[in-house]
Amino acid sequence: MSAVAMPETGHAEANAGPRSTGPMSMTKRVLLYTALTALAAVMAMPFVAMLLMAFRPTGVSSLWDIFFSTSFTLDNIRSNLRNDSMIRWFLNSTVYAVVSVVLVLFLSSLAGYAFAKKRFFARDKIFWLFIAMLVVPAQVSIIPLFILIVKMDGANTYWGLILPTVANAQGVFLMRQYIMGIPDDLIEAAKLDGASEFRVFWQIILPLTIPVQATLGIFVFLWHWNDFLWPLIVAQESAMQTLTVGLATMQSLVPSTNSMMAAAAISFLPSLVIFILCQRFIVQSIASSGIKG
Amino acid sequence: MSSRTEPGWRRAWRQSSPHRAGYAFILPVLVLFLLFRVWPAIDGLLLSFQDYRMRGGTTWIGFTNFQDLWHDKIFWGSLRVTLTYALISVPLATITAVGMALLIDRAIRGISIYRAIYFLPYITSFVMVSVIWSWIYRTNDGLLNGLLGTIGIGPIPWLTDERYVLPSLAIMSVWKGVGYSMMILLAGLRAIPDSLSEASAVDGATGAQTFWRITLPLLKPVLFFVVVIETIGSFQVFDAVYVMTGGGPIRASYSLVYMLYDESFKFQNYGYAAAIGVVLFLMTFCVTMIQRLMFGKGEA
Repeated sequence: MSAVAMPETGHAEANAGPRSTGPMSMTKRVLLYTALTALAAVMAMPFVAMLLMAFRPTGVSSLWDIFFSTSFTLDNIRSNLRNDSMIRWFLNSTVYAVVSVVLVLFLSSLAGYAFAKKRFFARDKIFWLFIAMLVVPAQVSIIPLFILIVKMDGANTYWGLILPTVANAQGVFLMRQYIMGIPDDLIEAAKLDGASEFRVFWQIILPLTIPVQATLGIFVFLWHWNDFLWPLIVAQESAMQTLTVGLATMQSLVPSTNSMMAAAAISFLPSLVIFILCQRFIVQSIASSGIKG
Repeated sequence: MSSRTEPGWRRAWRQSSPHRAGYAFILPVLVLFLLFRVWPAIDGLLLSFQDYRMRGGTTWIGFTNFQDLWHDKIFWGSLRVTLTYALISVPLATITAVGMALLIDRAIRGISIYRAIYFLPYITSFVMVSVIWSWIYRTNDGLLNGLLGTIGIGPIPWLTDERYVLPSLAIMSVWKGVGYSMMILLAGLRAIPDSLSEASAVDGATGAQTFWRITLPLLKPVLFFVVVIETIGSFQVFDAVYVMTGGGPIRASYSLVYMLYDESFKFQNYGYAAAIGVVLFLMTFCVTMIQRLMFGKGEA
């Protein structure tokens, strides 16, 4: 979900997936696979080049040597891992992303439940406020936000970095839509058994929302892991910088290309692991909700 | 507390259990949202009418910031850069995404692996991508000029020539982002009933005719959504500019958000930068409203 209304593609599931083109001629099949593979080569090339370069000794720069030489070294990776700043940035990014995921999931599902199932004064107006703010680009409010955080003594602190990013309108929207589909009977039954409001949320709603929690969690992780502008301005001390900001700083110091590619590869590793594990999830949720950073 | 000594308002509060729970559940996110999202947005608007110093406070100066913008060649330059970049990257991204969506909309062996590879760049950070592509685009020992050199082309100054820098950035961002638009368009394609294209094939239409007359018109709302998302994204181009060009050469990639960053965090002209933010908001707002008016459904 994003600032703009995602058109309805909900029939996609009902329509039983991709077009079955029937039997294909051999020539057609070969042409198709050639096109698919050529495109895959183009799309994968920067990754492949990055990886190869990261494992080549410093100084290797001719195309032939990058792709076909047999010299191979772990020095670039090792020197990056021995760099204390690099470790610190990696840690900061991990804290930024993981704490944000936990907070966003908890806060969004709590609010999403209330917006979906509770009746209270001005409920729909408050919900509308969340949605309306999606059309305001973050860059517009980033200067006042920075000034506010500086005044609150939050510059170069974890809370100053994290707290302003966890009230996530997309998260609230996503959770509300999902929880609206949960039958009221389940909630009523729990209440008849004497469960408190919070217990209904904790023991009935949360377990039922695990699929959407997973989707939202993956996206929140990626948004924060890849975030740049906010960490750049709010955490200017090297020890508090995130990995994206650190990478940009490293790049400006013009290190060897090999070492830079090794750093880039390290920064990509967590996202890649998540992608490999959750590829199906990510792809499906984009198709059905248009979720975007 | 016994109900006899309890004041009326307090009893009403206690008995309003559903209301109370509702407010209690939205309270944490609402407080954070008002404080860190709504208020800074309003404050951004106010700030654009002020001369603000971090130590020294606020002077209200009316429309002076906007008048200064109007006479600022650098501002018009950055607006031109941003719109040019949008004009290059949006059509390029949309056409590429349509082509790729059509290509992968097939039930054949291995298609999910191809789809995953096409999608992979989308989950990377712009910073990491910019680091890799800075090397790819380097004039003397870059990967791309190395490849082109083998067939006798170049060397082309991808990032260091005013004419090439925006197309170069656009190509990179299409590579990074096309997977997302492709997936949206794929969902759109699958929502079109098979029976329609089959009927048109039975009537003797060629593949191209079916595409232009049946598929594309039915895909229009989804296509427009993609165009709007890509346009808004291109208005906000920053990370790549910061890492790869620093706005250069000679401000040829000095985008609006980069100017906003420069004015505020380098020169401490917070009010002036906020005015640039207002311009960016108006641009985004117009694009969003056009989409809403044409295809909106009232939700979201």
